Amino acid sequence: MVAEENKVAWRLAERVVHNRIAQMMINERIKQRAFKVPVHLAMGHEAIAVAVAESMLPDDALCLTHRNIHYNLARADSLRAEIDELSLLPSGLAGGWLGSMNMANPRRGIPYTSSILGNSLSVAAGISLADRLRGAASVTVVVTGDGAMEEGAFFETLQFMKSCSLSSLVIVENNTWSLATRIAERRCPIDLDKLAAAFAISYRHLQGNDVGDYYRQVQAARQEAIAQRTPVLLEVQLTTLGSWLQPTPEFPEGKFINYHHGAAPKVALQEWPVLEQDAGDPLFVLAQQWDEAALRDLAETVSQRLAEEVS
Amino acid sequence: MTYIEHINSLLRARLAVAQDTVVFGQNIVAGSCLSGLTRGIRVPEGSQILQTQNSENTLTGIGLGMMLRGVSSIYFLKQLDFLLLGMDHLVNSYNIVRRLHAGSSFTLFAIVVDQGYEGPQSCLNNLDDFCSMAHIPGYVISSGWDAEVVLNRHLFAPGLKIICVSQRLFGTALPSWSEPVETDGAGEIFRYAQGEDVTIVSCNFSFPQALQTWRYWQERGLTASLFSVSGASTSDWSMILQDLQRTRKLLVLDDSKSDNRSSDRFLLAVRESALADRVLVQRRRFAPEWLKPNPDLLEVVPAELFQQLQ
Ligand SMILES: Cc1ncc(C[n+]2csc(CCOP(=O)(O)OP(=O)(O)O)c2C)c(N)n1
Ligand SMILES: [Mg+2]
Repeated sequence: MVAEENKVAWRLAERVVHNRIAQMMINERIKQRAFKVPVHLAMGHEAIAVAVAESMLPDDALCLTHRNIHYNLARADSLRAEIDELSLLPSGLAGGWLGSMNMANPRRGIPYTSSILGNSLSVAAGISLADRLRGAASVTVVVTGDGAMEEGAFFETLQFMKSCSLSSLVIVENNTWSLATRIAERRCPIDLDKLAAAFAISYRHLQGNDVGDYYRQVQAARQEAIAQRTPVLLEVQLTTLGSWLQPTPEFPEGKFINYHHGAAPKVALQEWPVLEQDAGDPLFVLAQQWDEAALRDLAETVSQRLAEEVS
Repeated sequence: MTYIEHINSLLRARLAVAQDTVVFGQNIVAGSCLSGLTRGIRVPEGSQILQTQNSENTLTGIGLGMMLRGVSSIYFLKQLDFLLLGMDHLVNSYNIVRRLHAGSSFTLFAIVVDQGYEGPQSCLNNLDDFCSMAHIPGYVISSGWDAEVVLNRHLFAPGLKIICVSQRLFGTALPSWSEPVETDGAGEIFRYAQGEDVTIVSCNFSFPQALQTWRYWQERGLTASLFSVSGASTSDWSMILQDLQRTRKLLVLDDSKSDNRSSDRFLLAVRESALADRVLVQRRRFAPEWLKPNPDLLEVVPAELFQQLQ
C-alpha cells in the first residue's frame, strides 16, 4: 500500500518536473522568436495542472483559457506535438489550426479552449449538460482566473451548473493579476468561499503547491461532484513565475514587471529547474519532500527524454 | 513619430482639459497602458480615471447610465472583440438612452487586433457590424493624419460612438505626407491626394495598402486621387463622387471582415451615380484559413492592379 502510494507520489513529482522543463524549453524558443503566436507560460502553475490531468478519467472534459500550456503539456502525448502546434504545423496537436490561445486536444479530453475571458465557462456547462444527457458518469473541469471570474459568465455558469446538478469542477487559478493589474488595483476582494455558499456549492481553497495534496483534493472534489451531482469550486492560490525587474530612468534598481505572456527573459533552461526558493514554486515544494539527489536525477532524465522528443 | 505615439499625444492633450469626464477601462494606467494608447493620460480635477475589473457587458451599461445623468465618458478596450460582450447595451439600452440623454458623450475607444496570428478568436475588425446593429457612428484612425480630426471632432461629440485604432499600425512610422489632407463636412472622409487617372478609396484599415498602390502608380506615371473613409456608417459620399466624375476609374480597398461593409454602401452609391467606367475592388473573402492563426492581412499587389486597370 505504502509502496503504491509512493509510486503515485513519485509519478506526480515526475509530471511536475516534466511540465516545468517543457515550459522552460518553450521559453527558450520564445526568446528566439520561434513562434508567431503569443504564448502565455504558466510556470508556477504546474501542481494544479498535474493534479487535474492525473485525476481525469477518459470521459472527463477539461476546458481552458488563454493560459493553457500547463494543462495541455500535462495531457499531451509529446512536447513535439505542443511545439508543432505553436509553430502552426500540421503535426501540431490540433493540426496547426488552434495555435496558442485556443489550444485544445479533444483526443486527450480537452474539447475547448477560449481566449475570451469567461467564454469557456458557459461552453463547459454545455458540455457537462450534454454528457449528463448521454448518461456519462463524467466530470467537466473548467479553468478560469481571478481576472476572468470578473465576467458575468462566471456567476451565471455557477448558477446554471448548480441549477442543473452538473457534475463539474470550476477551478479559479488566482495569481492575483489580470494583465498588469493586481486585484487591489482593479476591484474589491471577492470571497469565493462565501460566493460558493450562496449557491450551496462546496468550496476548496488550495495553496502551498504540494502536488500530492492537490491531487487528493481534486480527486475528492471529483468524487463529490459525481456523487452529489454538483459543481465544486476550487480556488488555487498561486504565483505565475517569470517576473523580472526592468531598470528604467525612473526606477534605476528595476521596476517590477509581472509575467503575463511571451518570453520570461530572466528564466534560463537549467539542470535543476527550481525558480524560486519558496512555496510559490511547486518545484521548491518537491525539493522539500524528496531526496535532492533523486530529484536531480529525475530532472536530468526528464530533460533528456524531452530533448529526444523534440530533436 | 509612430502612429500610436501620435494618437497618444493628441489623446493626452484632449483628456487633460476634459471636464466632468470619466475615463475608464481595464489596464488603462498599468503595464503597457494598452500598448501605449493610454500612456501618461491625466484628467483635470472633477474628472476621473478608473481602472476597472474585466466586465465588458456591465462596463458598457455603466457608460450609458452616466449618459443618462449627463456625464461624458470614454471606455478604452484592449480589443474590439471584447465589446461583443456589451452588444446588448449598444443595441437595446442605447435605443432608450439615445432619446433621453442630456447631450453627453460616451465613446467606446477600441483597439482592433489585426496584427495577425491571434488565432480563431480575438481577431475581429468588423467595426461596420457594431455600428450597423446599434445604428451608431464609428470612426477608424487609419493613417495617423486623420487622428486629429477624429479626436477633435468625434471624441466628445454628443451621443454614443466607437473609435477604433489598428494594432498592426501601432509601431509604424507616420507616413511622410506634405500635401494638405482635406476632410468632408462630417469629418468622415479624408482626401490625401488629387489625381487625374484613378480614384483610390480605402475603407476600414486598408489605408497602408492604398498608399502603397498610390505610390506604385505614381512612379509609373498614373496619377490617382487618394481617399480614406474613416466613418463606418458614412452615407454622404459626395466628396468622392465628385472626384470620380473626373477620373471615372475606381479602386476600392476594404480590409473589414464584415459581410456588411461601408464599402458595400459606397459601391452602391457609385453604381447609382453611374460615374465609374471601371471599378476594381479588393476585399477579404471568408475562407477556412480565417479559422487558424494567420497573417490576417488584406493582400494587395499594386503591379497586378496596375495591369487590370490598363
Ligand atoms: C472578454 C475579455 N476581456 C479582456 C480580455 C483581455 N485579457 C486577456 S488575458 C487577461 C487577464 C486575465 O486574467 P486572469 O483570468 O486572472 O488570467 P491570468 O492571465 O492571470 O492567468 C485579460 C484581461 C480577454 N481576453 N477577454
Ligand atoms: Mg490572474
